[in-house]
Amino acid sequence: MDAPSVKELMATFIARDITDGEEVFVGTNLPVIRAGALLAHLHHGPSMRVMVAHTRTNLHRTPVMEYFELLTDWRGARWAEAYFNDNEIVMYQKSRRDSVFFVGALQIDPFGNSNLIGLGRDPRRLTLRGPGAIATTTNASYVRRFYLFVNEHSPRVFVPRCDFVSTVGWGEGGADARRRLGLPGGGPRYCLTPLAVLDFEETSKRLRLHSVHPGVTVDEVKARTGFELLVPDRVPVTGFPDDDELDILRRRVDPQGLLRR
Amino acid sequence: MGPSGSEAERRSLLVEEAGLSRWLRDGMCIALGGLATACHAMIAVRHIVRLGLRDLTVVGSAVGGLDVDLLIGAGCVRKVICPYVGAEALASIGPFYRAAAERGEIEVWECDEGQYYAGLQAAGQMLPFMPTRGGVGTSYPDVNSDLKLFPDPLRGETLVAVPAIAPDVALLHAAQADAYGNVQFVGTGYADRLLWRAADRTLVQVEKVVSNEEIRRAPERTALLAHGVLRAPFGAHPFSSPGFYLEDRAHIGELVEAGRALARRGDRGPFERYLDRYVRGPADHVAYLEAVGLRRLLALGEY
Repeated sequence: MDAPSVKELMATFIARDITDGEEVFVGTNLPVIRAGALLAHLHHGPSMRVMVAHTRTNLHRTPVMEYFELLTDWRGARWAEAYFNDNEIVMYQKSRRDSVFFVGALQIDPFGNSNLIGLGRDPRRLTLRGPGAIATTTNASYVRRFYLFVNEHSPRVFVPRCDFVSTVGWGEGGADARRRLGLPGGGPRYCLTPLAVLDFEETSKRLRLHSVHPGVTVDEVKARTGFELLVPDRVPVTGFPDDDELDILRRRVDPQGLLRR
Repeated sequence: MGPSGSEAERRSLLVEEAGLSRWLRDGMCIALGGLATACHAMIAVRHIVRLGLRDLTVVGSAVGGLDVDLLIGAGCVRKVICPYVGAEALASIGPFYRAAAERGEIEVWECDEGQYYAGLQAAGQMLPFMPTRGGVGTSYPDVNSDLKLFPDPLRGETLVAVPAIAPDVALLHAAQADAYGNVQFVGTGYADRLLWRAADRTLVQVEKVVSNEEIRRAPERTALLAHGVLRAPFGAHPFSSPGFYLEDRAHIGELVEAGRALARRGDRGPFERYLDRYVRGPADHVAYLEAVGLRRLLALGEY
């Protein structure tokens, strides 16, 4: 088999971090996250709550689920065991305390606070209107943990201060930052980028380099981050999928090869 | 039985398409159901454009679709209340929405889904506001002056007060209903039940009108009670309708390209041609479907 792509590495990283029994949404328009969630489910998470198109599904013995590009594609509910209204899912967070979640961003600051609102100073005249927070503000307040995810690693994404904050990461910093704000969820654990995986230093909760993807140097990541990134003495390369994981990824999760484009 | 011995007839709630005008007027607050690329009440939306309504406050769905974008492009909208306007992979953000918001031509009531739903819940429960925790520590109270941080009077925790979002009318699209307003979905119905609870009145387009006996075969499936029912086969087109048809990607692409021509090049020509061909030109829904074409419509099956 071909060497795994960076996207396959990222999907594998996500999958290994998800535990059996946790709830995860199989998002749309985010093939890496979809693949990570499904790989976890098919590899080691038969009892996960996998949410597809507002339904709970279980695909453990399903050889291949088609790739659905749109959130509302009702064909995705062929494997449904239960369905939920969109508002129920967002409003009733108590039953989702074992949920993990993914947050995209236009900007991310050193404490993992992020912005989907837009760029500019005057909120009534944004220079770039962002897509908006969707449900990330509320979900990230409550879920067990979340992952930040960006398709670009550059100084315009990793900024000293976001123009606006739509999702709280570690607020003003410090391990008790979220408790002080009264946010019960576990906060961001990792930030995945096309160059690297970042985590949060335990005391300050500042972003720290966790691993670099193959072929990427530590200096490159530092140079493409618009603030001082914490860098440990030793930075490993992001882990590769093993044969079993790569087989599941290519045969059952992503037979159309979206992660290899 | 009345004193004369004659029994009164149960009132039919069926609405004719031309009768939609009586549900709509300038300056209204209108909620649009469905979600993202599915189940928007497009007969009603096109009717609004044909009427040339102005200054609407549009409560889009939580993942608002290009139904909202079309109304913005046609100049009907003053204010948008919803956390997103777009079509996901088909248009990550609505082009008319982005351009109008960046130029200050529309007001965007900034919120996330949790705040949006809290506002609708407050309206449905006839309360002035609903507290949320989502938004604490963010810029939302700064960018939307209607969202107020306040101390919980019981425990002192800082929360966000979201004022009631109370639409004058909710315009929805569902699978079926009887003439008495008993509405049933295929699928989850997204958040349409909540829009119904929050709005003063609800008009539902349905793929088919069925008998009351058909509804009573599975009364547990009746999701909401409409005030008006419009017979609307293919009424969500170009968006999908679960159990009936998928989204029409080519048609949505036409609309998105027209929006991008205006947003990027200031060229209104493609959108005017779109409106002439599909909205202002066709006199009614049947004429619209004829403009789209039978072959295209019948190619949209789910399986």
